Parts: sequence; structure tokens; C-alpha cells
Amino acid sequence: MRLKYCAAVFLRAVLVASLGYAMPAPAQAQTPEDLANFDVNQLFASTCGFCHSDGGRDAGKGPQLMGTQRSDEFMRERIKNGKQGAMPAFGASFNEQQIDAIIIYIRDLKPR
Amino acid sequence: MTKRPSCLVSLASVAIAVALPAPTASAQAVDTARIEAGGQNDWLTNHGSYKSFNYSPLSQINASNVGNLGVAWIHIPGKSTRGLQSTPLVADGVLYYTGSYSRVFALKGDTGEVLWSYFPELDEALVARQTHSPYNRGVAIGEGKVYVGTVDGRLIALDMKTGKVAWDTKLIDSQKLTVGFTGAPLYAKNTVIIGSQGGEWPGRGPIFAVDAATGKKKWEFLTVAGTDDAQKTWGNDSWRTGGGGGWMPGTYDSETNTILWGTANPAPLYDWSGADFKTQGARPGDNLYTTSVIALDLDSGKLKSYHQELPHDAWDFDSAVGEFLMLERDGQKLVVHPNKSGFVFVYDRNLAVKNVWRMVQNINFVKDIDPKTGELIGRRDFTAGKVESPPLCPYIGGGISWNSGSYNPKTGLYYKIGQEWCMTLEVQKTTPVVAPQVQLNIGADFKMAPPPGGEIYGHLDARDPVTGAKKWEVRFPEPPIASVLSTGGNLVFLPDARGTIHAYDADSGAELWSHSDGTGHQGGIVSYAVGGKQYIAVTAGFGGMLSDDYAANFGGVFKSMPRDDGALIVYSLK
Repeated sequence: MRLKYCAAVFLRAVLVASLGYAMPAPAQAQTPEDLANFDVNQLFASTCGFCHSDGGRDAGKGPQLMGTQRSDEFMRERIKNGKQGAMPAFGASFNEQQIDAIIIYIRDLKPR
Repeated sequence: MTKRPSCLVSLASVAIAVALPAPTASAQAVDTARIEAGGQNDWLTNHGSYKSFNYSPLSQINASNVGNLGVAWIHIPGKSTRGLQSTPLVADGVLYYTGSYSRVFALKGDTGEVLWSYFPELDEALVARQTHSPYNRGVAIGEGKVYVGTVDGRLIALDMKTGKVAWDTKLIDSQKLTVGFTGAPLYAKNTVIIGSQGGEWPGRGPIFAVDAATGKKKWEFLTVAGTDDAQKTWGNDSWRTGGGGGWMPGTYDSETNTILWGTANPAPLYDWSGADFKTQGARPGDNLYTTSVIALDLDSGKLKSYHQELPHDAWDFDSAVGEFLMLERDGQKLVVHPNKSGFVFVYDRNLAVKNVWRMVQNINFVKDIDPKTGELIGRRDFTAGKVESPPLCPYIGGGISWNSGSYNPKTGLYYKIGQEWCMTLEVQKTTPVVAPQVQLNIGADFKMAPPPGGEIYGHLDARDPVTGAKKWEVRFPEPPIASVLSTGGNLVFLPDARGTIHAYDADSGAELWSHSDGTGHQGGIVSYAVGGKQYIAVTAGFGGMLSDDYAANFGGVFKSMPRDDGALIVYSLK
């Protein structure tokens, strides 16, 4: 978990430089360029925020993500496989690097 | 279909105002004429009849004896992921309803004995990727068949007597967008009509008509830019991923052979255009025919008339939610249609606006809607950034939701639920979604908020459907999200969110009876009679998209309430 988080921190540097680009189409032939175009803020505003209120800062239809006690592994599994009757499975939509970026975003969440 | 003994004697004991013709031993087919007539003992289409009153004329159960109501039987459909949102139908003593995953049941209406069941095999991997899944809001019946839609984009016809598949037609390729059908279809004149989900997804929101005998598609109307004129109302090619859809059943006007249908909101739900939405933002223009009521020719699917209730809907206030009450007042034929915003529109049969009234107090997405023209006055169109003070009212859940109200022709009152809640949001300037894809297209982070200076609550109102004048109101700490039933016995039944079903005096609003159904309600409620005995059937089972908010925002019983369970509960006089 620790190693992955460190790798994710490195990826964050890449992301910070690329905020504001369009979201890619569903994961098919993912390349490093696709990650450069991946904006998790926009992802939350278009999709995740439907259930994870206020960009993930509040509980609503889904649990609060800000300050979560869940491990990276748990979140990765949840994003990929969903939870029956509660959350859709996004495994076909994101590659591993994109999920890393989502986890970074969640870990970085602060009150507005 | 069982033969009912001593039918004439049994019927005499049911205090119905209108004399019934003697029923035959085997049921007559359910056809357009029967659905139109409404049926005393039956519930033949989702909203009761094509008048969409959600009303039963039966009065064996009435204001003086409702205290004696008790459970007659219960059915548990199983696999009730997201609870139950279904409205049962009843024809000739047999009740037809659906559970989650479009599981269809035919039950004897007097005993609950299962006559047959059908479980379609759904694409489970697709279901796992969907948001509004796997619920189903009910069936249609007609010409010997039961029709049900699925969340993986199919419309299926089953033999009414045996449950065997007559045809199974795939109408939507749900893999790309993950949208399918959640609402009940409508049967009319050898045709089955069903509208897809759409508003939150980057697609074009089709409404389909299918031949009832063969299952072949007859026509398809695209609610997003379905005509050349409409395409002009979507700047920057935004019609390609516009949203739309028509996910609840409308109705059929046999006088003009017209289908009336409500359409869903455009995508992204929240725009960043500011006041100049006609030329700026994610989807410049009025965005026809989203958030509209449309009249389509039943045979050709061609658009005959429409009214766009919210041009450039920037708040997710679908017209898809509302029933079409077909009323007459002072010799004028009217159509009353509630919009998700909390405004109720009154039209003539050509969809010309006659009046607009507010069902809900907390509305600030507009200052008002002109009651004579339907024009929006003082719109709140946002730019990218926070919306907090004041919050946007009503909340994304709407001032009104898809659960049906009820019009009672004896009292002349429309019984309908209003929802008082608001939201803070941060609109993002999301980049345009250029091709249909799996992601939603919301456009903002948001959070439920109480109304300015007040608390969140819900209310059951008794209103004049044309003027909106309020006769009485009952308040609830959380908005009830199930349908309302009124009956010829001067009763209004409301199943609430906490799990209690209430009966009120239709004239005064006095509570006369209540009973706990064990879990929250988010589905339909109907009444019917078998062998001279009247029944009230209600689905219980929480967990759909709107109810997902309740545990976090309201706590209490919602924290322990299951979101994967449900039952059909049927009451009669002890």
C-alpha cells in the first residue's frame, strides 16, 4: 500500500500539470497520454459526485470519501467492482493509473 | 382465470355507484376500450386508466370502516435489490407486478397464490455498471399479453395466462451508455410504447413504439433533436450527447389517436452558461425536446404538438416524472401535468398552456412561471462556481418526483406529494462529452441543503387540479416518495418513507387509519376487487436513487432500513 501511494504521489505531479483537459473515452487502448488528460475534479462533477456529495466531502447517496479510513486496496476494489445495489462497477471505465489518480484525489480532499 | 360463483350476488354487496354489466365466466381480453373505460374492479394500466387518475371507484372500503382494514396476504418477490418501485396491475382477479431485475409475477388477487412467474435473464455485468438499476416500475397489459421493460434495453411480452415469452425485442444497445428501461410501458391500440432513461447520460433519449403482436419496432422518437427544427436548438453539435429520454409512461388520447409523453432533462444537468444560455455554455439553446410534454401520433410517431416546460433546463427538472390527468372543467378538456420542479402545468388537449401553479413552497430556480403563457420569469442560470446563498431550490430530487398523485372525481381534488428541500452546488465548466459513453454528465458537485430559514419536509396536499387552490395538507418530516391512491370510498392512501401506510378522509384530510409495512415505500398502490371483495395492494421496499439520500440526511430508521428487500402487501376488511 505504501509503495503504491508513493508511486501515486509521483503521478500526481503529472496530473497537476494537466488539469482541465477532456475526459477520455472508456478504457480501451490506454496510454500515458490518457492519464495526462484525466481530470478527477471533472470526473466527480460529471459522475462520482452524483452520489458522493460535494465532490466526495459529504455523505449523501454514498458515503463520505474525505478522511476515509478505508485502505487504497479497498477503494481500488470498490471502484472496479462496485457494490451490488449501491455503486456501479467502473472497472471497464478506468485503468490502474486512473484509479490511482482517483485515490490521490480522495486522499487529498479537504473541506471547502 | 377462475370462475367466480354468484357474481351478481357478490357484486350487489359492493357499494358501487355505477351498475356493472354481469361479468362473463372467462375474462374478456384487455384491450384499448377496456383500459379507457377504467374498469371498476380492475387496474389496467400504470396510472389506473388513460385518464391517469390513479383512482379506484370502489367504495366497499370507506371512511367509516377503514379502521377494520387488515392484511389479507403478502408476496415476497425476492432479489429485491434497490427495493420495490413497482405499481401492480389487476385484470379479472389476477394481479401482475414486477420486482427488481424485471421479475414478473401473476398472482391470484384474492389469495396471493402465484399463478406464474417469469425472471428474464439480464446482462448482470451490465447491471453492475448501471446507476439506476436494477429496478422496474411495472408492466402493461393488453391483447392477452403482459409487457415489461428491462434495464438492459429490452421490451418483453409474456402470455398473460402462462407467463411464456411471446417475444423479446432488444431496443437499446445498453452496453455503450448503460441506459435501458426502468419505467412501465403503455399499451394502446395494438402498440406498446416505452421510453428510455437518458437525462444523465450523453445520448439522445429515444421513445419507442412496438407492435404488440409481433414485437417489431414501429417507430422511434428521439427526444433530443428529434426533428430538424429541434436540432437548431442545440449549439455546437451538443445534440449528439444531449440526454433526454422519457422514462415514465405517459398516456393515450383516443379522440385524437395521440400519445402524450413527458421527456427528461438535457445533459449536462448543470450548465455554466450564465444568463446567455442561448449562445454560451455546454449546450447553447432551448434544447428541444427535453423537459417537455410532447404529443405524438400513435401510428407514425410524428410530433403533433409540444410544450417545453423548462426551455434550456439547467436544473434537472424533468417533465418525464409527471402523470397526464385528462380532465374536463366547465366544458373544456384539459390536461394537468406536474413537472419535477414543483410547478404543475394545465394545458388544453393541444398542449396550449392554460394555467401554471405551484405545488411546492421552496422554489427559486425561477422567480415564477407566467400562468398564462408558461414563460419562465427570473431564471437562475449559473456560471462555473459555487451556488450557496441562497441554495438552489428545489433539490435535484425535485419538488415533485415520479410517484403518482391521485385525482378523485368525487371530491374534485388532486392529492399529490410536494417535496421541500434545496441544494448547494459547485458548477464546473466540464469539457463537452462528444460521443456516447459510459460516464454520467452531471456538471456539478452538489449536496442536499435545507430551505432558507426552514427545514426539509414533505407534504401531501389536496388541491384543485386546475387552479391549485389548496384544501388541506398533511406534513411529513421526510418527503414520502411512493404513489398516492384515492378511492370512491372517500379515502386517500399514502405509503410514507418510514414504512407506514396512512389512510385519510379525502374531504378533510383527517387521518383515519395507519399500519406499518415494515420498510419504507417508494412504489405504487392500487385498489381492485375480486369476488365482491375490495383490496388495497401496495409495494414496500426502499433503496432507489432518491431514497439513497435518506440515511445520510435524515438518520433515524433509515440507517437500519434494508435497501435490498421488499414485499407486496395486500389489505382488505377483516
